[in-house]
Amino acid sequence: MSAQPSTPDVEQPSIEDRLYTVKYEDPGDSHLDVELPGICEEKCVTYDCVSVCPANVWREEEDEGVPTIAYENCLECGSCRWACSHGNVVWEYPENGSGVSYKYG
Amino acid sequence: MSTDAQSGEDAGPEPETAESEGPTMPTPQTETPNYDGEFDAIIVGAGLAGSAAALTLAREDKDVIMLERGNSPGTKNVFGGIMFTPRIRELTDFDDAPKERFVAEKTFSMLSEEGDATEISMQPGAWKEEPHNDSWMVLRGNFDEWFAEQAVEAGATLITETTVTDLVREDGAIAGVETDRPDGQLHAPTVVLAEGANSLVSEGAGLADPQHREDVAVSAKEVRKYDRETIEDRFHLTDEEGAAIHYFGDGAVGDAVGGGFIYTNKRTLSIGVVYSIEDAVHDERTPDEVLDEFKSHPAVAPLIKGGRMIEYSAHAIPEGGPEAMPDLVHDGAVITGDAAGLVLNNGLHLEGTNMAVESGFQAGKAVADALAAGRTDARALADYEDALADSYVMDNLNHYGWFLDTAAEDREFLFDDLPKALADAETEYFRMDDDSKTRHTKSARKRVVSAMGGYLGAAKKAWKYRKLFR
Repeated sequence: MSAQPSTPDVEQPSIEDRLYTVKYEDPGDSHLDVELPGICEEKCVTYDCVSVCPANVWREEEDEGVPTIAYENCLECGSCRWACSHGNVVWEYPENGSGVSYKYG
Repeated sequence: MSTDAQSGEDAGPEPETAESEGPTMPTPQTETPNYDGEFDAIIVGAGLAGSAAALTLAREDKDVIMLERGNSPGTKNVFGGIMFTPRIRELTDFDDAPKERFVAEKTFSMLSEEGDATEISMQPGAWKEEPHNDSWMVLRGNFDEWFAEQAVEAGATLITETTVTDLVREDGAIAGVETDRPDGQLHAPTVVLAEGANSLVSEGAGLADPQHREDVAVSAKEVRKYDRETIEDRFHLTDEEGAAIHYFGDGAVGDAVGGGFIYTNKRTLSIGVVYSIEDAVHDERTPDEVLDEFKSHPAVAPLIKGGRMIEYSAHAIPEGGPEAMPDLVHDGAVITGDAAGLVLNNGLHLEGTNMAVESGFQAGKAVADALAAGRTDARALADYEDALADSYVMDNLNHYGWFLDTAAEDREFLFDDLPKALADAETEYFRMDDDSKTRHTKSARKRVVSAMGGYLGAAKKAWKYRKLFR
């Protein structure tokens, strides 16, 4: 931004604060996975699942292996399904209505 | 959906005695009657398309069941903010619908990264009169619940917390669904797929190809709560009037193909960003960070400062246009709404809600006719596709199908160069100094023409984007 010191501050919530506003029921098991761990380990260098995720579900590991999947953060937007250019994301709906419940949407 | 043993007379000894909570509330799974084969049509998803289809079928006296994975219709749904209501107003007592504000003012704003803004704003008097150009801000939680209720009141059955996991085929034709309930197979002669942007069932059953990431957008959105007065003062609104503001340019979402938005509800603002997944994977910022930067733009921050975030949400949007759409009609099934890719984004028109309802309505009619004729193969259901082809839905999608690809080709011009060039031209044109206005005008023109790539470039661009205005 150019010098516009008069711009008011706006809230910049952390992901944790953001997710705190969403009603969530833990399905118990992850509804997300990778098809073949080897693709993340050997073929993937871009970690597009991490870049696209608005909820910090997918996290790149230091050893550059399979990303950690914090499935309980998931907002069920589905973006990682399309983002992975290797088609390596396994994405299912959380069972029986568990997962996010938006109040406003 | 459960077996007779669970719901029939031989269910075993009655455990509910004096200590039970009452005789009418057994657990949902044992209560579920055996629905298998009881219905003419199964609707996958009780969103806008699904409820429109269910309502239409129920009114044609068809036995119809909606299967919704959320614990209430709407709880899995996210949108920007405007419900376009031409069809839904005809289908329902729309005065009773839970609405926020009608769109009294529409603003398009081009933001540069440097903090400039160039806006065009309109509030035609006609929009303030009923039916308000059929454009209402709503919140999907209560709206979708209400719309599904209209279908139930018309006779449809609604089952929630039930996810359809696959389709059942008999002799090649779709003949029902598989769900995640125990003994969850359900047979019916027709299935209406209204499962939304993440069309796992259609894809899993081979009815739709997975979309390319260039054709899908990611959206991140905040709903923030304010005093009603604060909203009305900031956006100059009275009563039920509302404002819809669409932002473009690298001050909104960087040089990604997409933009930002603010929609005014009664006591909340919906603030969000939408941009292509192809761009998102190349941006070092995640969508929530893009949203935070958009909120901090000097032209945006004063409108949204303060308040309290009451919900954060994210969703994908299929924006691939007609070329990315699946075949809509199959033996025993039709695809509607977002699952069918019925979203229009040409920069000026951002529509999906109207087409979801329209497609559900047309699907409901075609399925009812096919059932009445006793045939539910693809040919018998083809009226659905024909009706959409003859309607504004396919006309608009075909007419503007070129837009997003063209915008992607011109991204540097549209999102990087143009917002700054316009701001510079405005600065020159209205400059107060010792020079004459002729010189100022010349200088302003130079900025714009140069950003356009000279007069030839300007002519080429005018030609390229001519279809936006004809």
